[in-house]
Amino acid sequence: MTSQEKRYRINLFRPKKGHMRDEVLIIFIILFGWALVTFGFQILLAACQGTGAGSLLAGLTLFNLPLHFWFTGQFLPLWFIILCIAFNLYIDRITAYHSRKRDRSYE
Amino acid sequence: MSDSGWSIGIVICVLVSFILVGLKQKSRDSFEYGFGGRYTGRIGGGAAIASNWMSAASLMGLAGIIYLNGYLALAYVIGWTGGYVLLLVLLASQIRRFGKFTAPDFVGERYGSPAARFLTAVISIGISVIYCVAQFKGIGMIFSFLLGVDYRHGVLYGGLAVVSYLVLSGILGVPRNQQMLYFVISVSFIVPLMWLAHRLGYFWLLPQFGYGAAMGDLSRQFGIDLAAPFAHGTLFQWCALCFTLMVGTAGLPHVLSRFYTVPNLRDARWSVVWGLFFIAIIYWSAPAYAVFGKLMEARMGQFLEPSAARSMADIIVLKTAVLAGLPGWLVGVLAAGALSAAFFTVAGLLMTGAASISFDIYYRIFHPMASESSRMKVAKAGTLVLAGIVLLIALNPPGLIAEITAVAFALAGNTIFPLFVLGIWWDRANDDGAVAGMLVGIVCTFAQPLFGGIVPQVAVLFPLTSSALCGAPLVILVMIVVSLLSPAPPEEMRRFLHDEVHGHLD
Repeated sequence: MTSQEKRYRINLFRPKKGHMRDEVLIIFIILFGWALVTFGFQILLAACQGTGAGSLLAGLTLFNLPLHFWFTGQFLPLWFIILCIAFNLYIDRITAYHSRKRDRSYE
Repeated sequence: MSDSGWSIGIVICVLVSFILVGLKQKSRDSFEYGFGGRYTGRIGGGAAIASNWMSAASLMGLAGIIYLNGYLALAYVIGWTGGYVLLLVLLASQIRRFGKFTAPDFVGERYGSPAARFLTAVISIGISVIYCVAQFKGIGMIFSFLLGVDYRHGVLYGGLAVVSYLVLSGILGVPRNQQMLYFVISVSFIVPLMWLAHRLGYFWLLPQFGYGAAMGDLSRQFGIDLAAPFAHGTLFQWCALCFTLMVGTAGLPHVLSRFYTVPNLRDARWSVVWGLFFIAIIYWSAPAYAVFGKLMEARMGQFLEPSAARSMADIIVLKTAVLAGLPGWLVGVLAAGALSAAFFTVAGLLMTGAASISFDIYYRIFHPMASESSRMKVAKAGTLVLAGIVLLIALNPPGLIAEITAVAFALAGNTIFPLFVLGIWWDRANDDGAVAGMLVGIVCTFAQPLFGGIVPQVAVLFPLTSSALCGAPLVILVMIVVSLLSPAPPEEMRRFLHDEVHGHLD
């Protein structure tokens, strides 16, 4: 492998310093929140079925909806919107930070 | 005038008004701005994303599948919203910096291979056709419902209507008004729902919350529990379906190209948030139609056989409105919203498919010297041929609207999504990997009908509507292995990825 080849490496799991490293960090945080809440809740729900916790969960309601139905059908889309807002706010911030940093380096 | 006469009148008015508003906008634009399509800000961009997304699957199929499958069908709600998170964080900004906006263009440029471009074009066309079949089924069911004819005649009339509408808009050169479309779709979906909730005696100001009480009544009085988790499918089936729809959303060609109508990257990102919010408004409402429909049927003592319920599930939105005694004009409003969504989705998909035929296949591969006018002819002929194929398949629809659509998502998630993700995030991915990945992806998508009979395990792991949970990771693995075994992509492309796509602020 030549040094030339090394210079142009792009790998999600080995981001280069600067903007890309910050960007990849927030991507992983958001994806973690996305996967955990979406699939984690379903796994929890399936695991609770038939146990005492399951019948407790089935009895809970919110806005007259069974809690798990409300969580999946109404809260999860809201959660996705929250994730997107968090992502955008963070990207706006690091974009501003790195733009300032870059412009200063030209001085 | 009879009730159904009112319904049909409203539907025609709404469809004609799109043309009239478009024409007015066109003359004003060319006068005031000199170009079509204005910048309408983040909220306008969000409405454009949402209206581009809404189709018969969202407005009819979703309520239908929830009516049939209860909690299992919420995987559709989650899959079709959660996919935007993937799209936003993994692809949106980077593809925009890459500068190629259609799937075949991106693949052709990134992997530098005519074979990969050809395969992507074929896959895009396949996705458009499958997706359109679902729309045609929706259009056909609405037509047969309104006109009182059988389904096959409904599809024929509906197909004729949508193609004439397309041709007419094309001849007049009408620009699509996406903001108006979203407004029409959401109002025509939610106002009848409020009326319905009011009529049935539930909290009607926000029927998205009001249907909770109806769900309680349904289970107390009639013993029907739509909320029972995993009653119609296992945890694996739920997750597989949800994941497939998510990666499919992030890989669907006509969704990807939506990011470039907004002039700067920051607004493009924020318009995704608005788009997702506008989509969620419809998706919070769809289960209400399913619950009210079930409740109306139960109150009237109609307990349908599973096969009968399945055959009318896709029209449950309109059926509920009629059962509850909504006035004819309001049923017309409801039908008009769903029809306009389906019409414009068909228009967009057929044009995407035809563009792939004329540009990516005819011009880039077979006739590089073809003139502009001959390419246009191929595109126009391609649109009609695709519409014909779709119509033939839709005469005997293979499933529910949501299910047919899910197959298109599975195909996108198994092929285009891995190509985009690796193409953007791994410089070493090359043309051999891309071609191998796409072939494996196609096989994964259709593994159940192809091999399900021979190896039962395949049918369990790769169900037709939900093959991407196992398929997409497998395709990514194949792409990585094949890429590592073959020569690295050109230095020029790796430098471009390093300096432009991921180095714009270095």
